[in-house]
Amino acid sequence: MAEKHLVHSFTEAAGRVGAAVVPCTTLQDAVAYVARTAVGHTLIPQTALAAEFQLRSLLGGAGVDVCSVSFREAGQLPGAGVTFCNFAMADTGTVVLDSTSEDVRLATTIPEVHFVILDPAKILTDNLAAAAPMNTLYAGSEPRFVAYITGPSRTADIERVLTIGCHGPRELHILLVPDVSDDLMEI
Amino acid sequence: MAATADFKKSVEDALGKPKLSEALHLFGDAYLIARENAFRGLDFDQLRTELAAIKDDVRERRKELLAQFIANAEAAGSKVFVAKDTREANEYVVHLAKQKNAGLIAKSKSMVSEEAHLNKALEAAGIRAAETDLGEWIVQLAGQRPSHLVMPAIHMFKEEVAELFSKEIGEPLEADIRTLVDAARKQLRKDYFDADIGLTGANFLVADTGGIGLVTNEGNARLCATLPKVHVVFAGIHKLVRSMEDAIKITRLLPRNATGQLLTSYVTWIRGAVPTPGNDKEQHIVLIDGGREALYESPVCRDALRCIQCGACANVCPVYQTVGGHVFGSIYISAIGIILTAFYEGLDRAKEITRACIGCRSCTAVCPANIDLEEIILHLRQQVTKEYGMGLVKNITFKAVMRNRALFHNMVKAASKLQKPVTQQKEGQPATRVIRHLPMHFMDKDLTQWRDLPAVAPRSFRDLFAGIDQKVDNPRYRVGFFVGCGADFVYPEAGISLVKVLNHLGVEVVFPNSQNCCGIPALYAGDTETGVELAKQNVKAFYEADVDYVLCVCPTCTMGVKRDFVERLVDDPVWSQRAISLSEKTMDAVAFLENVLKASDLLKATSAARITYHDSCHLKRGNDVWKEPRALLRATGYQLEEMKNSDRCCGFGGTYSFLSHPQISRQIAGDKVESIKVTGVKTVAMDCPGCMIMVGGSMGKADPTVRCAHTMELLAEAIVEKPQGQTPGEKQF
Repeated sequence: MAEKHLVHSFTEAAGRVGAAVVPCTTLQDAVAYVARTAVGHTLIPQTALAAEFQLRSLLGGAGVDVCSVSFREAGQLPGAGVTFCNFAMADTGTVVLDSTSEDVRLATTIPEVHFVILDPAKILTDNLAAAAPMNTLYAGSEPRFVAYITGPSRTADIERVLTIGCHGPRELHILLVPDVSDDLMEI
Repeated sequence: MAATADFKKSVEDALGKPKLSEALHLFGDAYLIARENAFRGLDFDQLRTELAAIKDDVRERRKELLAQFIANAEAAGSKVFVAKDTREANEYVVHLAKQKNAGLIAKSKSMVSEEAHLNKALEAAGIRAAETDLGEWIVQLAGQRPSHLVMPAIHMFKEEVAELFSKEIGEPLEADIRTLVDAARKQLRKDYFDADIGLTGANFLVADTGGIGLVTNEGNARLCATLPKVHVVFAGIHKLVRSMEDAIKITRLLPRNATGQLLTSYVTWIRGAVPTPGNDKEQHIVLIDGGREALYESPVCRDALRCIQCGACANVCPVYQTVGGHVFGSIYISAIGIILTAFYEGLDRAKEITRACIGCRSCTAVCPANIDLEEIILHLRQQVTKEYGMGLVKNITFKAVMRNRALFHNMVKAASKLQKPVTQQKEGQPATRVIRHLPMHFMDKDLTQWRDLPAVAPRSFRDLFAGIDQKVDNPRYRVGFFVGCGADFVYPEAGISLVKVLNHLGVEVVFPNSQNCCGIPALYAGDTETGVELAKQNVKAFYEADVDYVLCVCPTCTMGVKRDFVERLVDDPVWSQRAISLSEKTMDAVAFLENVLKASDLLKATSAARITYHDSCHLKRGNDVWKEPRALLRATGYQLEEMKNSDRCCGFGGTYSFLSHPQISRQIAGDKVESIKVTGVKTVAMDCPGCMIMVGGSMGKADPTVRCAHTMELLAEAIVEKPQGQTPGEKQF
């Protein structure tokens, strides 16, 4: 099955760059995983999918410390961020997020840990296959900020020793949840 | 020309710090493995041909594409400023900062801001620039400049970093990398929040979207673009691509070739002033020419602007690995740095590093944009020679002596007699005569302290050839032999062996006596006039000989005959035609044996000796020949044991190792000696008289029991004389 093959490649590639890929059966499983793993203030941007699935209340209900103030007021190093994503690329283990909303940018850049919910139906073969949806995102002339994220933040600037967690999140957890959305324009 | 005293001193200082060179060697080795893994399943040559085509089309349509980019960016709310030079670019940013009352600018990596000395300009205006890329921050705190395009602080060690960070942060930090990265994370986080302006570079300016692309690992560019209210993009105009698809294609090459990553942690695409809660975000894009338009207009050098700044040309460069980027570079380092320095900072600033390139072509082999870096550098060296001269020794040698074949050859003969008092029989190899010490002790450090010099042979190949009785009935081919100076006067045995092997396989050898030096030494020194004259002499000699093929036992000569003669004589229709026809039938002897004669099917395995093989730069990367000698040596029974980095330069580089940079050569040769020693093998095969001078000479001092031989010698030794009356081609050899 093509999709199974893509999930397998994606999981391997993301694993190789230090992301944790967690297969979940339902969104509830993913919520429980985040509740078990997240520490501290958690930024959950209110994107279309987050609103549709009431992600904030689900996580709040599971005991996550959901940030209720402006994310800029959440401290310089908040504990976690939880987002959905537009799509992913199997060959490099990359998740792609339309981050035009500042809250998505903040939730994915400043926290110590980033959780991404990915519907396996959104996994594309490779970055060449991503050209079409990228062009759709960049149609028109509205300002746009799209982030490819491949594993946690890293550096090798001191003695070429790979060190995780330089300026971005130290950990990236990708939660595979089926039947969330197969619309590549939706986050 | 020898280096100036200042440059020589900087080389000596670098050589006095072996720790840096060791680190760069380890990095270079690890890089090759990571890169190979990253490209598995992909066709690098196809990808780089495609990238070159994209960038060439951008060059041709740059005015139209730049206008398209600007229109699209402005439509999304960006303010775009085109700066004709870095001074204008700096002024724009300083003016903007003053307008915004900005005291702090958080910067992510932008090489063009290094080129512009932007931080200095900001500082002068009372504005603090905080570098947030870890490597850039280290370099900034140390008051230095980056020594590598991708890893700015690759020359520093954790102890030095700990000292810098402790001082900056005001608490003692352990020299532990994890601790240091965490400290930087905490310290710099404040700067993103406090900064009034965030400044980033751009890896791409995407014309059809009006957006930029940023390829990063640490996540600092995203923070710089997000947290401050104003985002400034500071980029060179050559970052232009036509479309999102172009940019995506480049992301397939850039990280793989830079660090061996399939993709960096972050690739960020930003168009326009993205909204903030107050909706008062601004984006300013400063596009900088700064010499790029002039480079686009240079037909010989313009390919350099295809560069995507992966830094690979440094990673594989033996000179970079020996002296580091602060010596071998300016703002931009290594091979691409030589070219960009010449155009962005002026030829004067580039003249030393132009001569510091050893010409091994390893940069050209790994360049993802298919830039023939070595050829462009060669051209620049010719410019340098025109402007600044090439020094007395080279001047007399090339202009007065080598152009006159009779004088040149008589001088060599005289030298073979004059050297007698200093030559000795090589230990363990009584047949080989070498110079172990020169009486001129003041030159000894550069010339014989660390290597034996080969003695000029008592009789040159051209003298010996006259005495060979070639018994070839009904020859399959008549081939011309372009002997080259090294095989003619120093290693005639390579040529004699070639004749033996060819005769054995039913091929007759023709030796036109009026042939002369291929001219590459003169050309590499920047003397084109001598190059043209020598090309004519040789084309004439072989045109008149009327042979089926022309063979060389020196791959540098092969490149000279195949590539350079054609280029040198291009302006003259008659000579040009002759040069092309000579080029088409010229090849390395091993390539002829294997690819034309299929000799590895014909030769018998008679030897069982263990050997190792050194790939000459010009054989592998100049002529794409490396499988052939291995096939031939294995066919004759030799047990081939590969050495580490067999295709890394031996340090010869012609006059480089004698006049330009003997001390750098010494280090590079030392690496080769180590690789050979590790194999424990006593015979090293190679296909280049230049390498034989270098490897043979250095091994001679390190372990005289190791023999360096031309592949032709080993093949000739393995051949059992052909019984009379047999026809070639019947597997009876």
